[in-house]
Amino acid sequence: MPLTKKRIGIVCPYGWDTPGGVQSHVGDLAEYLIRQGHYVSVLAPAIDDENLPEYVTSAGRPIAIPYNGAVARVLFGPIAFARVRQWINNGSFDVMHLHEPAIPSISLLACWAAEGPMVGTFHAAAKRQKVTFAVAPILEPVIEKLTARIAVSEAARETLTEHLETDAIVVPNGIYADRYRDGEIDSRWIGNTLGFIGRFEEKRKGLDILVAALPKIIERFPDVKVIVAGPGDSAEFLKNIEPALKNRFQFLGRISEKEKADFLASVALYIAPNTGGESFGIILAEALAGGASVVASDIPAFDALLGQGQYGTLFESENSIDLSMKINHLLGDEQKRREIAQRGKIYAQQFDWDVVAERIYDVYEMAMVGGSTVSLSSENRAWNKFLGRQS
Amino acid sequence: MNKYLLAILIIAFFAWYLSYSATRLDRLHHRVETSWANLDGLLQRRAAIAIEIARSEISDPASSLLLTFAAHQAREASVRDRSQAETGLTGALGILLETSPAVSGPIEQDLIRELTELTEKIKMAISMHVDAVTRTQLVRKKWFMRAFRLAGSAPEPVTYEFEGDVL
Repeated sequence: MPLTKKRIGIVCPYGWDTPGGVQSHVGDLAEYLIRQGHYVSVLAPAIDDENLPEYVTSAGRPIAIPYNGAVARVLFGPIAFARVRQWINNGSFDVMHLHEPAIPSISLLACWAAEGPMVGTFHAAAKRQKVTFAVAPILEPVIEKLTARIAVSEAARETLTEHLETDAIVVPNGIYADRYRDGEIDSRWIGNTLGFIGRFEEKRKGLDILVAALPKIIERFPDVKVIVAGPGDSAEFLKNIEPALKNRFQFLGRISEKEKADFLASVALYIAPNTGGESFGIILAEALAGGASVVASDIPAFDALLGQGQYGTLFESENSIDLSMKINHLLGDEQKRREIAQRGKIYAQQFDWDVVAERIYDVYEMAMVGGSTVSLSSENRAWNKFLGRQS
Repeated sequence: MNKYLLAILIIAFFAWYLSYSATRLDRLHHRVETSWANLDGLLQRRAAIAIEIARSEISDPASSLLLTFAAHQAREASVRDRSQAETGLTGALGILLETSPAVSGPIEQDLIRELTELTEKIKMAISMHVDAVTRTQLVRKKWFMRAFRLAGSAPEPVTYEFEGDVL
């Protein structure tokens, strides 16, 4: 792909040690670009400085703050700002890629401190809130320094247009489609099985809705089983559901990538009953790539990802009766189930890193047209000199 | 004494804000220039491909004439007339690709593929440029910027309207 090797700096706003969508996106992208021969440096907050991949530089320990209805592990403050400036100054990057620059963390600091070719990726989708009006005047002068903006989904793009009145190019999140392409059928998970992957204790993942739909499904398919993969306390979860339903559940805990591929290839239906807070739905893209037939709630992100129901079945979000009807219909019609899964598998190839990273690199190239490199912005250069003389 | 200190602080802040706003505006104008350079480069490449297509076997003589004419016009148009000229080229390419029978030769297929890839990039470049232009226009309109003529002699950026969806 590249005729010339570039120096690329990527900033991740969230703690590297905590698993999360943005972190794994940054990691996968960095590794892909390194394989293409580029020099990549990632700046991220980290608790444990020792066990970081070679390409990650720690910006300091993240602080847990409540943000937008969840706990975010972010980093700011004068020391972090100094480290960000130092990283920019030493990196002499051709292009800098900032993730979630509208979140109070090091991406915002980096955007403030630097000038030159900068690309920002916006992951989150949020409803318009009153607070945005207060925050927008502070963010606008910073965000407008970005040469190009990427949104990971149409929902994220709309959020950006509403909140900051600026447009973005939509480039979806990436998955390693080939990891899920050749899952083997595992006899433990076949039959009338409903698969679920995720932190099931979180309310917005919607496992409750599947539980509520279960009695109606058992009426028609007495042997139906729900198989749940993902971290969480299963005993605690089972405590709160009816005894008659308990033996329907099987918890696998955290599973490996290989197991995930087999899981997706084996279950009859993959269920994503999320109630919201989802911007893209990376797990759905993976489920499609793994050849699973998907039933998902019709929240905007899933509706868009599943092509309005072409590549998976949608049910009315938070409506367990509708969910049970959709599941019953599909469990009884293997032909249709297979058809949808087949379409979805082909469709999911466009989320493969080979495609997605190329498109991101196209954006980099466009940002780099001016030929200048990333440097500290003039205000900050003066500030650095001033500090340098002091010490 | 305090009064003087306050006055000095206010003047210092005012001076800082003036220079900060001027830098901000300058940066925005720079962004418009780079995004335009990028878009312009891509459009030039498209015009070159269009001429190549006009000479290839995909195109019948009448379409060739139309295409060559549109491509040259797009290349020579001034910034203000550019979007109209490019829309003309988009139209000519659209008509040709729609009506021409299935393309056979490998060279022609390469051309078509290059054109589709380029179209994708042009769409991105347009959205980047339009965003830079609207942003700059918006900031230029702020009373503070106007009152102190912070835009200086930089020309007002022109919006570029382009019907990218035709292709």
